[in-house]
Amino acid sequence: MNAVWLVLVGLGCAVALLTGNVDEMMASVLEGADSAIELVIGLAGLFCLWVGIEKLAEESGLIKAMARATRPVLGVLFPELRGKSKPLGTISATIVSNLLGLSSATPLGTKAMREIKDALKDEDDRMNAMIRLVVLSAAGLCFFPSSVVALRAATGSAAPAIVAGPTVLAGLAATCGGLSVHWLFSRRRRSK
Amino acid sequence: MSFLTFLAKMGVYSFPIILIGVPLYAHLKGVPVYETFIKGAEEGLRVALDTLPYLVAIFVGISCFRGSGALELVSKAFGFLLKPLGLPVDVIPLVVIRPISGSGALALTGDILRTYGPDSSMGLLASILQGATDTSFFVVTVYFGAAGIKKTRHALGACLFGDLCGFITAFLIWRAMVR
Repeated sequence: MNAVWLVLVGLGCAVALLTGNVDEMMASVLEGADSAIELVIGLAGLFCLWVGIEKLAEESGLIKAMARATRPVLGVLFPELRGKSKPLGTISATIVSNLLGLSSATPLGTKAMREIKDALKDEDDRMNAMIRLVVLSAAGLCFFPSSVVALRAATGSAAPAIVAGPTVLAGLAATCGGLSVHWLFSRRRRSK
Repeated sequence: MSFLTFLAKMGVYSFPIILIGVPLYAHLKGVPVYETFIKGAEEGLRVALDTLPYLVAIFVGISCFRGSGALELVSKAFGFLLKPLGLPVDVIPLVVIRPISGSGALALTGDILRTYGPDSSMGLLASILQGATDTSFFVVTVYFGAAGIKKTRHALGACLFGDLCGFITAFLIWRAMVR
């Protein structure tokens, strides 16, 4: 993230200075900082709602049940978390939210990240599990791409849902690609 | 088609089902519903607030990159490199923006759909690219921000490589579709 941030800011400033675009760049940066606050305020309500619901699911035993039900899959994806039903349950709820395209995906995913952090002591185990969850969420695999389909319908498409199959396949490819890069990196780190 | 509508409906209807189903089940299990929800909501608020500094940092970085015109230059450079592969020039900004800004990408896809028509070959490609992945920069920032982790190792790299795989797959499927 260090390098990425430096490149974004450094290259941005360099281009602004070279092309004389400084005013525009400055306005855009201030607007960016503002919109981060706006976004957080927008997200806060969503986070309250979904973490509230998740707490109910947790205390009533639903999260534990989800962890049990998804063990065959999540046990393979998150071997570090074996037997830790709290983070596993929240992870499964996150993945289900993603697949259904629900707004609960981000609130639950962030909660799962905190739970992984608490559940694992070993730094490498912890980071590996967290990065795997982030890769899964960033690929955003979804049964049905509702926002694109809605946009297509709104712009007058005769077959708005025709892109559903292709997007699922592309999402699968993104998931597998991200996971394999993570696997390669974590193996290299271990062999060091 | 009916399977597709089923999937679409599932996403829409699961919301009210979860919203009433979970509290009802918790109530039957003897959980104090209102108090527990508040407890969770408090935690949710803390999580959201914790992500703020991370989001400000990444938004400042991205808007600096965008506002200065550097993003446009990078898009042009990519366009030059990718042209021999048969990727239409007009969707290249979309490929560059998709992992960086979710709202930016959606606006761009909207533009392309309105300009070329959603069922044109360009409209199809833009739609598939838009749906292929989620906004990697946002997910990495918010997820690690919520956990208070600043050193994210190869997380962003892995996500971006995943995006690339998604885009390549989208492009290959699109080529098979329009041919």
